Amino acid sequence: MRWEERREDLKATLSQRRRGLSRGWYKFSRNPLSVIGLVVLGLIVLAAIFAPYITPYPEHAKPYTNFRNASRPPSAAHWFGTDRVGRDIFSRVVFGYRFSLTIGAVVLSLGVAPGVILGLIAGYHQGTWIETVIMRITDVFLAVPPLVLALAITAMLTPNLVNQMMAIALVWWPWYARLVFALASSLRSEYFVREAELTGAGKLHIMFKEILPNCFAPVMTKMTLDMGIVILLGATLSFIGLGVQPPKPGLGTMVAEGAKRLPGEWWGTIFPALAIVAVILAFNLVGDGLRDVFSVEEV
Amino acid sequence: MECLLAINDLHVGFRIFEGHLRVLNAVWLDVKEGERVGLVGETGCGKTTTVKSVLRVLPMPPARITGGQILYNGKDILKMTQRQMSMLRRHELTAIFQDPLQSLNPVFTIGTQLRDIVRDSAIGRGHRLTHREVESRCLEALRVTGMPDPERIMTNYPAQLSGGMRQRVCIAEALSTNARLMLADEPTTNLDVTIQDQILRKLDELVEEQGVSVVMITHSMGVVRDLTQRVNIMYAGTIIESGETRDLLESPQHPYTQGLMASVPKLTGEGISEGIPGRIPNYLDPPSGCRFHPRCERQMEICATSMPSLYTTAEGHRVACYLYGGTL
Amino acid sequence: MSKLPILTVDRLVKHFPTKAGLVRAVDDITFDVSTGDTLGLVGESGSGKTTTAQCVLGIYPPTSGRIVFEGAPIGVMFNRRNRELKRKIRIVFQDPGSSLNPKRTIKQILSVPLKVHGIGLKRERLTMMSRLLEMVELPATEYLYKYPQAIGGGEKQMVAIARALATNPRFIVLDEPTSALDVSVQGKIINLLMRLARELDLTYLFITHDLSLMRNVATQVAIMYLGKLCEIARTQEFFRTPLHPYTKMLLSSIPVVTDEEESLKPAKIVSKGEIPSPVNVPSGCSFHLRCPERMPICLESDPEMRVLDTGHLIRCHLYSP
Repeated sequence: MRWEERREDLKATLSQRRRGLSRGWYKFSRNPLSVIGLVVLGLIVLAAIFAPYITPYPEHAKPYTNFRNASRPPSAAHWFGTDRVGRDIFSRVVFGYRFSLTIGAVVLSLGVAPGVILGLIAGYHQGTWIETVIMRITDVFLAVPPLVLALAITAMLTPNLVNQMMAIALVWWPWYARLVFALASSLRSEYFVREAELTGAGKLHIMFKEILPNCFAPVMTKMTLDMGIVILLGATLSFIGLGVQPPKPGLGTMVAEGAKRLPGEWWGTIFPALAIVAVILAFNLVGDGLRDVFSVEEV
Repeated sequence: MECLLAINDLHVGFRIFEGHLRVLNAVWLDVKEGERVGLVGETGCGKTTTVKSVLRVLPMPPARITGGQILYNGKDILKMTQRQMSMLRRHELTAIFQDPLQSLNPVFTIGTQLRDIVRDSAIGRGHRLTHREVESRCLEALRVTGMPDPERIMTNYPAQLSGGMRQRVCIAEALSTNARLMLADEPTTNLDVTIQDQILRKLDELVEEQGVSVVMITHSMGVVRDLTQRVNIMYAGTIIESGETRDLLESPQHPYTQGLMASVPKLTGEGISEGIPGRIPNYLDPPSGCRFHPRCERQMEICATSMPSLYTTAEGHRVACYLYGGTL
Repeated sequence: MSKLPILTVDRLVKHFPTKAGLVRAVDDITFDVSTGDTLGLVGESGSGKTTTAQCVLGIYPPTSGRIVFEGAPIGVMFNRRNRELKRKIRIVFQDPGSSLNPKRTIKQILSVPLKVHGIGLKRERLTMMSRLLEMVELPATEYLYKYPQAIGGGEKQMVAIARALATNPRFIVLDEPTSALDVSVQGKIINLLMRLARELDLTYLFITHDLSLMRNVATQVAIMYLGKLCEIARTQEFFRTPLHPYTKMLLSSIPVVTDEEESLKPAKIVSKGEIPSPVNVPSGCSFHLRCPERMPICLESDPEMRVLDTGHLIRCHLYSP
């Protein structure tokens, strides 16, 4: 029966995928640090999503002042203390994670895809003018230090979150182009690619169905490790004043505000800084674990 | 004659996340002074694991020696200290591997590498050599392997030489240590057939001259026929047949050996058999009893329940098969 | 069986200019393959056997010379060939490990030729793929969803063969299909290939360095050395009376397993010397540096191919008038 056949096919395909995922999890879970990283990351993400519901003072993330409660050290009521206008730092940090994670997610979404596609095209057309054009443009972008370029762009436009994200995305894609270019140009000479060409498969098929699946693992690993750097970059821009603007609770912005009050009111800077460290570390640990998942073991 | 090397009932396993791989299972192999012995088996049968066990270069987790002994000159290698083992590797044992590009360091010239070995080997025996002595020994070692223009080769890098020449360098290196036992793991598999022939002949000559004992590991029956006096056939980590080479090849006894011989394409043009049905077993859960029994046309009940030991047959071979003994 | 050649290679030359010099990979070779035949192309490194096959397949355009398939000239690169030609000429590569994309399932791998050539309607393809796997004696339901790493080398090659058969080809280039496999698996694959050739009326160009294998598989054997053909003959004739000194050297070097075979080998021609690089082809007859039967004329002029009465083609001054 037609339906029978299709259903069997679907079942078999899905069970193959499932097996792949459980094997992947097995390899990941052998790394206790990576699991810790994953747990911490999970908590951070959940906290950021449900921030209004789980923070003790969600309204402090919006414009709020309470000078009677200002500059209080950490206590039972305010775990991370209060800042100079009386806002609860803990709640603001949790809301701050929203900005950081959004920056990370958006930048990578915007930056990775074009980078990968350009690298793929350049790698497949290695030796032709297409490769030259794409890779030279990539080289130009790579020659400028990311921070400087991002600064320049945000300085030209009005400093806000959206522009900040676009600026970072613009400096991020070249790294992926280069990574995928290297992978694609070496994969090009594999027998299975040659066979597909000889069969008559079109360029699109070969690039996206034969070569790209083999690039997936390094790209995924790099993305996870990059998240940390992107978040740091975003926090740096905010710190300088070109990113998230006060009174919004960006983590970098908070570090900048609190820095003026060091060392006396240390809680204003230290806690947001630690929060940045925590999320970057978590991403790095998960990235390490992913690298193990994707590595092929030989016995 | 006392055995130079005797592997007695060796069992080696590997611990991996999916479980415990029971790879080597009852390996028996001996080599007398000056003898050339073959170890034949297909991919995955455990030949290289055996070599690595003798050299004690198996990564110890995940590998584990679960039984047996390896005696060199009567002393158990497995019980030696690192220092004793190191001495053994330096002076008594030597090895040639399949891919000379992996054995030779790509960033040093042949000369540098060869001189290191010659010098080190002499120092180890307690005498120092002058530069000139070292140089002449290196050139001699290369010349003797049939290498044209040894002076020039000394200045070359491995990448500049052809596969055959690289392998000759490896042989020169192996023989300059004056070792007594050579382990040759598929030394000519990657080479063209006319070069392979030259190299094997040369190797044969040299080991004969220097009285070196050799364990020749290969998957090619043809190679052992010309080069070895005795041969051992390995399947799934077990030695299943052993005997004088010519005899064994002319009349193989074990069903696996017979299947193997039938699969080899012959110049007589009698066609190729369908091979041996089935696959090599999974070492995580190997077949009970005789590891070959699921693929064997002549399996009997007892084959699945217990493992046969090596029985001596009328032809003088030792065969691990109930067809030849043990069922009485 | 039709005696019309399905493939004719006429004075094919393929040179590669490199920094090290001109690599004369294929240097003026001519041969025919009849429909239903298996031509064994034998040679060592640098012989040009792989490059010849690559020109037939269109991986490289010839430097000069013609390649004619089913009466039509095809000597252009594959991206300038029509789809029909790509359907009819297929390849099975040597290394099963890299000829199947490790990130795609067997189902996805087999579907590519079917989709590209529009074979069958979408809903029929699953059945067609199962049938292809059955043709190579693999259990379809299990294997369709596996990834290449999950199956053994021999089975990977069978999938590669199934993929080659997917387009109903006429001609398959087999590039050392069993060199990377154990001998116990080789038998199954070779017998499968022979059976398929008979059932589907296929013609094979079988590249190998293993003469013992050719003895049992090829209908015609051609020996190549440094880009040139030394000798071509029908198999029986070839092994009964090998003529070229290089052929005799090759035959003497084969490690055989029985005394009977040993007696069939020509008198011990001890191979000596290294195989020269195709960048530095010796003058005159390119084999003269290693030839035990070298004559003065061999250093000066390159012999021409001669056809003997027996249909044996030989290119050697020993047999020139």
